[in-house]
Amino acid sequence: MTKTFRIGRRAALAGGVAALASPAVVRAQADPIKLATLTPLTGAGGPYGPVMAKAAASVVEEVNKAGGVNGRRVVLVSEDDQTNPEAGVRAARKLIDVDKVSAIMGTWASSVTTAVAPLCWESKTFLCTVSGADSITLLPHQGYLVRTQPNSKLQVMRVGEFMLSLGVKKVFTMIPQTPFTQSTFDTLNAVLPKGGATHQSLIYDDKKTTYRTEVDQALRASPDLLLAGGYTPDSVVLLKDLYRAGFKGKVVGFAYSINQKLVDQVGQNEIVEGVYTFAPSSAEGSTAYDKVKAAVGSANPDPYTCQVYDHASMVLMAMAIAKDSSGTAIKDNIRKVTQGGGKTVDNAVDGIKAIAAGEKIDYTGASGPCDFDEKGDILDCKFRYEQIKAGKFTVVKIA
Amino acid sequence: MIDIVVQALVNGLVSGTLLAVPAIGFTAMFAVLRFPNFAVSGIATLGAFAGYLAYGAGLQMAGSLVVAFVVAGAAGLLFDEVAHLPMVKQGALPAAIASIASGLVLENLVRLGFGNDPRGYDRPIARDIRLGDIRVSPQQLETMGLALALMLAVFAILAFTRIGKAMRASADNPDLASLKGIRPERIAMIASFAGMGLVGVGGMLLGLDSAIDPLTGTRILLSIFAAAVLGGLGSVPGAVLGAFLIGMAEELSVLAVGSQYRAAVGFVAILAMLTLRPRGLLGERAY
Amino acid sequence: MPSYLLFIATIGGIYGLLALSLNLIWGGAGMVNLGLAGFFAVGAYASGLLTTAGQVPIVAGWMAALVAGGFAGLIVTLSTTRLRQDYLAIVTLGFAEVVRLVAANEIWLTRGTDGISGIPGPWKSALGQNFNSVYFLIVVAALVVVFLVVRRIDRSPYGRALRAIREDAQVAQVAGKPVLRFKTEAFTLSAAIAGLAGALYGHFTSYIAPDLFLPLITVYIFLAVASGGTGRPAGALLGAYLVMTLLESSRFFVEWIPGTTAVQRAALKELLIAVALILVLRLKPSGVLPERIPPAPRPATGASS
Repeated sequence: MTKTFRIGRRAALAGGVAALASPAVVRAQADPIKLATLTPLTGAGGPYGPVMAKAAASVVEEVNKAGGVNGRRVVLVSEDDQTNPEAGVRAARKLIDVDKVSAIMGTWASSVTTAVAPLCWESKTFLCTVSGADSITLLPHQGYLVRTQPNSKLQVMRVGEFMLSLGVKKVFTMIPQTPFTQSTFDTLNAVLPKGGATHQSLIYDDKKTTYRTEVDQALRASPDLLLAGGYTPDSVVLLKDLYRAGFKGKVVGFAYSINQKLVDQVGQNEIVEGVYTFAPSSAEGSTAYDKVKAAVGSANPDPYTCQVYDHASMVLMAMAIAKDSSGTAIKDNIRKVTQGGGKTVDNAVDGIKAIAAGEKIDYTGASGPCDFDEKGDILDCKFRYEQIKAGKFTVVKIA
Repeated sequence: MIDIVVQALVNGLVSGTLLAVPAIGFTAMFAVLRFPNFAVSGIATLGAFAGYLAYGAGLQMAGSLVVAFVVAGAAGLLFDEVAHLPMVKQGALPAAIASIASGLVLENLVRLGFGNDPRGYDRPIARDIRLGDIRVSPQQLETMGLALALMLAVFAILAFTRIGKAMRASADNPDLASLKGIRPERIAMIASFAGMGLVGVGGMLLGLDSAIDPLTGTRILLSIFAAAVLGGLGSVPGAVLGAFLIGMAEELSVLAVGSQYRAAVGFVAILAMLTLRPRGLLGERAY
Repeated sequence: MPSYLLFIATIGGIYGLLALSLNLIWGGAGMVNLGLAGFFAVGAYASGLLTTAGQVPIVAGWMAALVAGGFAGLIVTLSTTRLRQDYLAIVTLGFAEVVRLVAANEIWLTRGTDGISGIPGPWKSALGQNFNSVYFLIVVAALVVVFLVVRRIDRSPYGRALRAIREDAQVAQVAGKPVLRFKTEAFTLSAAIAGLAGALYGHFTSYIAPDLFLPLITVYIFLAVASGGTGRPAGALLGAYLVMTLLESSRFFVEWIPGTTAVQRAALKELLIAVALILVLRLKPSGVLPERIPPAPRPATGASS
């Protein structure tokens, strides 16, 4: 807060005569626009949150270099939700009441998003999330929420179709208890029989250090494909135990957990050889994606990182269109930025310039086309299927 | 069905052996220091990371275990001297509560240095050996062998060495022991160091086959307690027996009620034991 | 800023209830409850479920939380009151873990890790912006009632009997005090208060989930009671606000430590709490407001007052 004051004073001094003429206007212009990331820096989401915050910071930095939004500088405040709704609520309170941010971006765990969302719509703060639980967009959020992650039902439906395309007959799912566990079971039980495959499942405890007995139990069903639905730490253990048990079938997992980090940790390529991964596709090869790569210094940034990059870009451009930085302005204008045709832009700086030039724009970001329905779910999303070969991820298809 | 039960029991025997090492450390400290040291969670994590660094730096397995032992033991001793033992005089509870805080301190020191990402020991993984329908992993046999050797060493030290005898005497009756010229402060220091050393080694052994992160020790805390309480708090052979039972019960619970309630096994075992036979299977004797 | 402070003050008040609950048994009878977060959760779920799925009035939900918390406390103590206090510590720690597992896995009842959202707040839609202020007053009212109850117990012959048990259970037993019953009663009442705190929390934030009830909350409350002064209700209350202040202010000052990543700053915050607890226990075990043992009433002998 001291910082804000100092900048305000400096700007006022530099403003000189103008400041005397209309101090209120100048003060308003000098006050920075505040945005926030609320990502998990500790807890189960700890591996993802720090990079996500970095991606959002890079967008803000670029926009500031290019002169800010509506003539104002943008300040990004990053808080930790500890992958814990209680801490998330306290942090969100601080962001809303003390920092008075117009938007909170990047909430990761569905439980945190569900807890924070009511604070946001009640205070007219815009919320962008990467949580996938179906229930989130069904909350009465009055438009103050969008998510860039396809909901879990859509994701699992696609993964089911992909499994069928591999020609498997017996699928077994091993998954810890998460907000999407039940929806995964329900969806697969509906999708797989249509393609002539059976489905069995088992819920495991993600805190265990060995899954030998669980693996034995799964293999008794002699599946030809195993869906590993956990997070990175437990998936490392699970894949090792599957290898030890001599499992010869196919393995499919979500790319947020079966990633380069997991391969490095397993440390032995034959254990993960042939494992398929699946993710809502980032718009790989797009310039936005390349920007994310450069910003976070990673060759393959995870989808969450790409999504938060898009959150920051969309929010800033929506402010530019509205010529206003309030949460309500973002709510009313975000779809003017993201869909409905116009000049395709892939970053906030170009977008804001185009808006200033009076052009209509359609943002296509690092995570995908970023078009939303009225509930805040994304309309269309490509999915990306990869397979690990000799320790490297190779693309099977993007569809 | 029978084969999967037998397999689960075998798996439980393996994990029980590994669990026995920190359980011995915990129960031995309880026998001498008379308070439940909750810092075992943080110390197990610290030991796992110390061993991880040593192994990464090119030390062999045995050398890395020694490093884990010494680092964990030294940290355990430091926290006991600075934070826990001065409070035991006011009763076991303040010391126990302080030890929870100590565990949290260690967990977060590891987090400061290493972040939250899980790390794996760079150790080749082999396919299991099959004996009929039952399969065992060669590496787990190796780890199990290390744990068994360690346990034998602990028993030998307690049974045959002067220090071991003094520790037992001091645990059974501190007043009598000090009359015999055994210095209780010294015994306490040895118990802190060796007990936490074992906890650190246990953390490393349990991490060898999976992955380690700042919460490694927290995850096994309740199982360690359950093993010690089941065998009788303060009883070293009891802790070993308790660890085997908890290990097997945890694996069987996967078949019976599903894996998600595994962590509840330790709690149920503790509650049942305290209701039926509060002094544990082998009673509260140090040896 | 004012609404942020109000929010913190309300949560601080709920922590204050937990601190009073812990102080009753720790300061009072020398018992310990490492599963405070578990009883907090039991109350939150009881009230949260009854008022959403069960459609009962909010006040009935709060009463149910008291009963549910107390009942859970009764179950936990029955098997351990005869034993040394260290056993109770271990059992309660396990209890909190099991509550979390049940909340996460029994989806038919608790909606699993999704949590329960839309828990009604009293007169929430009518109050609008003023809801936080009114709710703060409700929490303060609950605090006052509980505070008066525990202080009354503290100063009654019953409280003295509890303290006698704390100092030496055997002597108390010999002196003819029903030690077992006293301990069970104290623990049950304490667990009931924790349950009420849980319910107040759920109806304030409108959302509960298993992840909310991590063991870290228990550590916060221990720090609160230890720093405020064990054995004195006012101390526990003061301690709760001290902890809340420390928690929230550390959020602001860790931002100023240069060269640290976000994970490191979060680790530093937890480190700070843990170190504070050790320091308080080690250096100032009696807390900011040390216990005052009220003198036992003497028979009036005329001259002395």
